[in-house]
Amino acid sequence: TSSRSVCPHALCSFFFFSSWLPQAVPLRGGHWQSSLLAFRASIPVRAQPKKKKKVDVRREQAQKDRMKKKIKKLEKAAPEMIPIEDFITPLKYSDSNRVRSLPPLSFEETERRVLLMKKWCLFKHKQDKAEKKAIQTLVEAQQEALKELRLESEELYQAAIRRDEGLFPFERDGPNYTPPLPGYDPPEGKSVDITKVYTQ
Amino acid sequence: TAAAPRPWRLFGAMCLLRLPRITQPLEKEEEEMAALMEQIELEKSCYSDHEIRKLGEEEQLKRRKESMYDDDEVRGKTVIMAQDLEDKWEQKFLRFEAAPRITDADKSNNRKSLNRKLDSNLMLLVKQKIGNKELWLLPQVEWQPGETLRSTAERAMATFLGDHVQAKTLGNAPYGIYKYKFPRAIRTEDNVGAKVFFFKAFLQSSDLSQAELKEDHLWVTKDELGDYLKPEYLKKINRFLLD
Repeated sequence: TSSRSVCPHALCSFFFFSSWLPQAVPLRGGHWQSSLLAFRASIPVRAQPKKKKKVDVRREQAQKDRMKKKIKKLEKAAPEMIPIEDFITPLKYSDSNRVRSLPPLSFEETERRVLLMKKWCLFKHKQDKAEKKAIQTLVEAQQEALKELRLESEELYQAAIRRDEGLFPFERDGPNYTPPLPGYDPPEGKSVDITKVYTQ
Repeated sequence: TAAAPRPWRLFGAMCLLRLPRITQPLEKEEEEMAALMEQIELEKSCYSDHEIRKLGEEEQLKRRKESMYDDDEVRGKTVIMAQDLEDKWEQKFLRFEAAPRITDADKSNNRKSLNRKLDSNLMLLVKQKIGNKELWLLPQVEWQPGETLRSTAERAMATFLGDHVQAKTLGNAPYGIYKYKFPRAIRTEDNVGAKVFFFKAFLQSSDLSQAELKEDHLWVTKDELGDYLKPEYLKKINRFLLD
């Protein structure tokens, strides 16, 4: 209890004062002790909890501010780059035993390859020109049709050049090598996705 | 002032396309190039885990044959070799039978079926009566005031294939026009000729069993159009058809 903790302190101060003052005044332990017997009432026993409230609140506020500052600093720092897994060759593929051993290319082979590349270049060029010409005729035909339509009726023309909202997004499954097999039952299986997902 | 009524009659026609289901065969240059690309990729690559395992096992077999080890008798357990796995996979692949690229309809040249020529676009042609002649045309119907030309074309499609056809019309604008004057006998001041506006649509559903095909119809590719259409009409149509 608080009386025990205060008592030695009061006695100490009492003795200190008694050695100090050489007067014949009834010695009292300072202003905080009106009488030896009434110390429990006068000494403010509730000082500790009050101090706790203020100091703690201030301390807590200071802690919160420090945390907020740290968070702001972290946010300001530039986000970490997400590594592109495709560009990083795993180390196990740089071993020497992994190098393929093939016979070197002969002169005829390199010649054949160069000539084939040139033929391919020409082929693709012709294909591209044909495609562009086809698109050009397509656009011209459409422009002609719209011109004729305008001559007919302005209202129909305006309806024709309006944008078709339902057209895009347009989705279609591309052609495969073989047509779908009727009544084909694909084998059962489960695929587990193990791709690594990075968050910034 | 009201505009004078134009002497041209308007028609909306629909070019319904069934898109290809399989890829077209490669040209000679494309095949050669594909082979070359594969070879170059092989040359630039490293050994994979499977190949290293295979090479290691081949080495082991060779060593065993040369020095007659008694390893396999001592061990007594069968180890699956990479070569065995490859054989097993090959067997499994050979057991699978894909659908043929050239269908029965191709062989019998049944031009009414949709299963023909799976690698090219097929167009719908119907036999219609124009004037007093029966002609093969893209389905067309006369425009009625109050509707846009696109809805006229869609109505033409519905007239010949029924209401349950699922087709995606590509846009509000016409793709081409065919203008012709009526023969002098029936030409009047108000009725000089007709303009046919063509629209394009992609056939979405491959199942037309519900469609009530009333008139004579055909599904043809771009090259076969010449067998049925008049030259002037064909010229105008070819402009907006991509092969």
